[in-house]
Amino acid sequence: MGCVRVGAGLRHIIAVTGAAAALFLGIQSASALPLYARQTGQQCAACHNGFPELTPYGRLFKLNGYTFGGGQSDLPPLSVMLIPSYTHTEVGQNSPAEPSGAAKHYGPNNNFAIPQSGSLFYGGVISSDLGIGAFGQVTYNHLSRSFAWDNTDIRWAKSTQLGGETVFGLSLNNNPSLTDLWNSTPAWRYTPWVASGLAPAPPMPTMIESGFTQQVVGLNAYTMWNRLVYAEIGAYSTLTKGTDSALGVNPTPTSSIKGLAPYWRLAFQPQWGRSSFEIGTFGMAAMINPGRVTGFGTDHKTDIGFDTQYQFLTDQHSISAQASWITENQNLTSSQAQGLTTNSNNHLRSLNFKTTYYYDQTYGATLGYFRIDGSGDALVYASNRTFSPNTTGWIAELDYIPFNHGGPDIWPWLNMKIGLQYIAYVKYNGAYSNYDSSGRKASDNNTLFLFDWITF
Amino acid sequence: MALKPDRMNAMKRNRTPIGWVIALPVALALAACSGGEQKSPESSVVEGTVHVCSSCHGFNGRSISPTFPNLAGQQFEYIVEQLKAFRDHTRADPHAHTYMWGMAARLSDGTIDGVANYFSGQEPASATPGDPVLMAAGKKIFQEGIADPKRTVPACESCHGDKGQGAGTIPRLADQHPGYVEEQLHNFADMARTNEIMHFNSENMTLEEMREVAAYVGSL
Repeated sequence: MGCVRVGAGLRHIIAVTGAAAALFLGIQSASALPLYARQTGQQCAACHNGFPELTPYGRLFKLNGYTFGGGQSDLPPLSVMLIPSYTHTEVGQNSPAEPSGAAKHYGPNNNFAIPQSGSLFYGGVISSDLGIGAFGQVTYNHLSRSFAWDNTDIRWAKSTQLGGETVFGLSLNNNPSLTDLWNSTPAWRYTPWVASGLAPAPPMPTMIESGFTQQVVGLNAYTMWNRLVYAEIGAYSTLTKGTDSALGVNPTPTSSIKGLAPYWRLAFQPQWGRSSFEIGTFGMAAMINPGRVTGFGTDHKTDIGFDTQYQFLTDQHSISAQASWITENQNLTSSQAQGLTTNSNNHLRSLNFKTTYYYDQTYGATLGYFRIDGSGDALVYASNRTFSPNTTGWIAELDYIPFNHGGPDIWPWLNMKIGLQYIAYVKYNGAYSNYDSSGRKASDNNTLFLFDWITF
Repeated sequence: MALKPDRMNAMKRNRTPIGWVIALPVALALAACSGGEQKSPESSVVEGTVHVCSSCHGFNGRSISPTFPNLAGQQFEYIVEQLKAFRDHTRADPHAHTYMWGMAARLSDGTIDGVANYFSGQEPASATPGDPVLMAAGKKIFQEGIADPKRTVPACESCHGDKGQGAGTIPRLADQHPGYVEEQLHNFADMARTNEIMHFNSENMTLEEMREVAAYVGSL
């Protein structure tokens, strides 16, 4: 019973702290703390290898709770991000009025979205003495004309000596793997980082990839020893429907976690010369009430992932590569009882790989690959002719970051990534051709995407 | 009735000690961080600053990446002078701009002294022998300079010491990352890093000669 009480107490603490944190972010947003570049006085390239990928120093900045200082700016700790874009797909989509059609307010093809989205960030050191800092984001989705809270990570970190430098930390956050330091786990992985919201995107089907993003609050404890071994454990709880609504998340299609869902992470990071390497594992398990419906038992999903990253960073030439593989086992007791699935057990696997080259942290080229495969299910994938989720494709992207070494004199903290991206689908929703029984081919979804990722 | 077994199962599952899984490391973290002796505010600032410095310059000032110089055993006066140059923006090579202007912007003279005292007191990094051919050529330049009818490059050791140990504001070069030394020679030659003496010393060196000298001092 003691364990039950502790679990219930923690859920309560997480819920209350999450609500308090959201309130805190709203109230304190005007305090005189600069955002990261202004806070540190450093250029974006110090922490980012073509943003948002983190350099070894950027990882330590995050590990230590976003508290490193140095800069002399006294501007508020706020930043804005805007992403205007243009989207072209090989074949246009159905009219907005039809199922799986184009987005409302936009045509079937060749759409400008000015902007596609806009975000307001709150971040940086809250108390350097206490080791508390934050990363918070609220996003306006211009495509759906809606506001919602976005990735949020409030941290406490402390460094001590335990046979080597040992950093301990706690994170209150709303997205499993948001806390991670490497760009090979779902929250900060290239999938791509900026994708069109007006074209079929590569699906991220597993629970840890997108199942509870911004629909949960989690408390994670982490440690890194000697900048070599990283371990993290956490527990996530879904928010109530009312809280979801208040934070801009549509609660209707959401599911709820029964009890707490544990998250774990273990990584090993050797570094030598200009190279850094990481190999690790991560995962999450949850008992789920699909559609928040109770009375049918629960689904039980377990995600186990493996990831690796390599970076070779010099002043002029930078190369990085990341890969992740996730396998998800689904016990679908509730879903099957509710008539949502055919099978009582399904599985999914997700493979991602990308490699990037940057010249002078200004000109970049990225090549990525993704593959999703899993068991077929006539109800889960009812709109797929083959009832299969299998999707495979390639991503190519060219980037130009004119201000990575500092913006114009009038606003030195301006950064901008202009990107031209092409996604080519080899297989989509289980088939190369006629995947939807209406004659649409996977390659019809091939997407040319031009974007300007502006932050200031 | 169908719910009952499920609820019982859920209660059993709730007995899995997720709470303890979170609570234990939190308690350990708090316990690990709550002890220790009281430090003066200034020493705490220096300690915190050194911790940040070590993100790039490595534990005890022995860095991993040649992008960032080893600071362990570096001359106290040189570190002080450079930190003040970063703070005042009088050192403006690309890395200074990217990293060090921000790092040094708010350092007080007292903190700079404390940081310099810490790093100058650390045991230097290990020497890293490189290509023997490069090192041999570099040793000759380091000890004898280049006496050429069309150019003059003085011996490095005349200022930096016969073991590259440095003196005062003249930096220690021994066991420095060759990649870093080579880059600084480029910076001096190109005036990206302003230093009249070093500009004079490096402007007549070829890229290969810079690489040779860098390889040699890294092995000292």
